Amino acid sequence: MRIVIDGTRLSVMCITLSIAASANAAFNIGVDEEARLPYWEIAEPGVSIRLVQRLPDQTRGFFQARGFSVEDSEVIAQSCVFQTVFKNISSPSAPSTIEYNLREWVVHAAGARHGLKTREDWEKEWTTRQAPPSARLAFEWSLLPTRQRYRSGDYNWGMSVFSLKPGDEFDLDIVWHQDGKKRSVLLKGVRCAPDIHLKPGDL
Amino acid sequence: MSERMNILFRTAALLLWLTAGVAADAETGKIQTLTPLDKPFIAPDFALMGEDSKTYRLSDYRGKMVVLNFWATWCPPCRDEMPSMERAHQKIKGEDIVILAVNVGEDGDTVFAFTGQYPVSFPLPLDFDGSVIAKYPVIGLPTTFIINPQGNVTHRAIGSREWDDDRLLNTLRKMLKP
Repeated sequence: MRIVIDGTRLSVMCITLSIAASANAAFNIGVDEEARLPYWEIAEPGVSIRLVQRLPDQTRGFFQARGFSVEDSEVIAQSCVFQTVFKNISSPSAPSTIEYNLREWVVHAAGARHGLKTREDWEKEWTTRQAPPSARLAFEWSLLPTRQRYRSGDYNWGMSVFSLKPGDEFDLDIVWHQDGKKRSVLLKGVRCAPDIHLKPGDL
Repeated sequence: MSERMNILFRTAALLLWLTAGVAADAETGKIQTLTPLDKPFIAPDFALMGEDSKTYRLSDYRGKMVVLNFWATWCPPCRDEMPSMERAHQKIKGEDIVILAVNVGEDGDTVFAFTGQYPVSFPLPLDFDGSVIAKYPVIGLPTTFIINPQGNVTHRAIGSREWDDDRLLNTLRKMLKP
């Protein structure tokens, strides 16, 4: 049989590949359209989780503008921050309840394992460092919630902090509970954004 | 044989296109859902100064349906839903449905500057110290609660919605006149 790839057949093939991938966990890597930075994404039935790099300089600027000192914002900027988008994409006609707890997620880097640093962990640190209340409030709400329960159509954006150095590479065990059933995937080869200091004329 | 293959291809293409379409809709995160609360609760009252220097007291809206949104200017999904909230506000003028979008942790100047880019005409009360959001079961921004005319929180949405979607507005209208 001669295979002729015209427009219709090419789209059939592309869609088939996409569906085949989503039957297991579909891993996507690309450049986020808005941030223009690399992302790593998993798409499972009912769930979408995307980690988008944040440049340390973006993080410095964001938190200094919200009242953190240069020293405190540097602590966050040097801790490998991602913008995480966690969505319950189940259809309203076949809804799922999705729950997660960041304390179940595990970071694998350089042969060691550790957990994510959560809002509660940071709050203790800001208390010790005597960060201003307004800055702490902004920090709390800008982080991905430690625990969340999503119904169909719900989602959050929030920063996740992986306690690694700029440019480090890691694997991430992502765990969630879908209609009471525990699900997990290993997202491999995620890379923290490098600490780039642009000078005039670099672009 | 080739005709049968052709029909098979076209049928498969149609089925896959339909499936992909549903997936694409879901991917947008724009499913206009409101989740009924398992345990409705009485909305904690508050009085907050707005970005327009007026004071907004929740209990003043008793008898109306209140869409109570918690947001911040730096939160991308919060920004995404502001234009649709404004369009919804225009659509529901004259009805007993109001939108209150409580800003969390920012000052009037910041919110005023924001409204230069995202002009809105509904109230933007300022919860500068986070004392109001702390009274509500909010875990992430944006979160929106639906408060019925009796002052009970009955529904919730986490993440942005297209608030001017007619199906969503009709759902609110039905709640108003059960």
